[in-house]
Amino acid sequence: MRTRTPQIVALGGGGFSMEKDSTLLDDYILALTKARRPRVCFLPTASGDADHYVVRFYRRFSALCEASHISMFRRDQGGRGVEDDLASHLLAQDLIYVGGGNVVSMLGVWRAHGLDRVLREAWQHGIVLCGPSAGSLCWFAEALSAFHGPPRRVGGLGLLPYSNCVHYDAEPARRAEYHALVGDGMRAGYAADDGVALHFKGTKLDRVVSSRERGGAFHVRRSGGRVRETALEVSYLGKRGGPGKRGGGRASDTVKQPGLPAARAVALA
Amino acid sequence: MSASLEGDRRLILAMGGGGFTMEPANPLLDDYVLTLAQAKEPRVLFLPTASGDTTTQINAFYARFGGRGCVPTHVSLFRLGDLERPLAEIVLEQDIVYVGGGSMRNLLAIWSAHGLDELLTRAWRRGTVLAGISAGAMCWFEGGVTCSSGAPEPIAGLGLLKGSLTVHADGEPERLPVWLKSVRVGALPGGWSADDGVGLLFCGRNLERVVSSRPGAGAGRVDAIAGELVRHRLEPELLGSEEPVIQPLLDDDVRELRQVQRLRREMTGEAQRFDDA
Repeated sequence: MRTRTPQIVALGGGGFSMEKDSTLLDDYILALTKARRPRVCFLPTASGDADHYVVRFYRRFSALCEASHISMFRRDQGGRGVEDDLASHLLAQDLIYVGGGNVVSMLGVWRAHGLDRVLREAWQHGIVLCGPSAGSLCWFAEALSAFHGPPRRVGGLGLLPYSNCVHYDAEPARRAEYHALVGDGMRAGYAADDGVALHFKGTKLDRVVSSRERGGAFHVRRSGGRVRETALEVSYLGKRGGPGKRGGGRASDTVKQPGLPAARAVALA
Repeated sequence: MSASLEGDRRLILAMGGGGFTMEPANPLLDDYVLTLAQAKEPRVLFLPTASGDTTTQINAFYARFGGRGCVPTHVSLFRLGDLERPLAEIVLEQDIVYVGGGSMRNLLAIWSAHGLDELLTRAWRRGTVLAGISAGAMCWFEGGVTCSSGAPEPIAGLGLLKGSLTVHADGEPERLPVWLKSVRVGALPGGWSADDGVGLLFCGRNLERVVSSRPGAGAGRVDAIAGELVRHRLEPELLGSEEPVIQPLLDDDVRELRQVQRLRREMTGEAQRFDDA
């Protein structure tokens, strides 16, 4: 078992399931494993193990990796799976990729099968954990879950001691909802647009990368009785093209840009 | 319909297998489910949670219940964004909630995460008929035998019904022995086994009727008494048969009445339910 720095790459959206024509984020994540042919296991739990999602995973990864997936709904099919096999399979990976969907359903299933403990162990051993949407929210202590009804504050696995909000640019109401929850006592945290990935080493945000030139990420916290939002530096992973560049480099709170950056176009996905 | 159903309206139909996901050509059990609701055009909610909300199950549900004199709908707990109204409102207005099969461990974990276990308990107390197959049948009991993690093993349920249930008693040979052993050693309370095609109807907490969509299918009751298993076989009533399974002599009036019923059914097609059931 390797002992390496724990790493989590939390995607606001994007990767193979959302970006058919861009492999930038997935390539970035694969490179973190430092393996020539990484062992990558996909957990499509949050989608209810949707077949089309599993197919898209293999389409993107099977040429480059030792790709596998674990279905929590079909464990009675195929080999006589036992709890231990699940754990040893996951702990032998270089990367565990968690798909999007419903984070509440996913965490319920994981806890029922003891997968929450296994994933924490995997993280501690330096197996890279990543995922978009629900696959991002789950790693944090708290998250804004944005399915039906009033935006909900949900508890995650708590590997990262912050809150998280995804698809930050995709829904007009998302920013206001997140600010309201943080204003209401949810801990400070990070919001990411579609196509933007928050790369944590240990529990510290190390870098913010994007597959889109205008992708944004933000630190949101309560300070002096109001909610403050700070735009983070985002490194665009592709070749620079048109206007609207963001500087590359490290994520840093020194970029002071409180409130909503007025000039930033809010993309509606 | 037996008279006692008039009193306690808390009904649960637990099916060992069968229904629209397993018997695409045999609607007998699903038609029976519809007769359990008092409404003329019952609202039927399908919960495909245990399967991970597969479109296969959802499509099969609408294929069966569409055009059957009911209002079918479904809720996917993986795609709650599709809901137009709060979950509680949708669940509590139903006449029937029909739960599909799959992973019982995941089913209960997801329900609990979304508070659906409490909603369904409330619905049951208010007279919503609860029906389900396999994992969707065992979940109502104190326990069952699940293959959610691979090999069959005992698992706790919601406990609306006393005792345990094991399903596919004839279709999945490896499950029954695990259940029997679990009951014998006290890991599960005594309870019922149901073959594929067999439905156990509970009124309140009492077993009221045992029905079947297939000739030859059966059910059983097992209890552990002083460390020994005591088993009884339960003979189901075969649904859809004009004559009782054990056929007494019929007088001409009854014969004629049944012919009329048969004719009426043929004329209105099998999509029509019997109003006089």
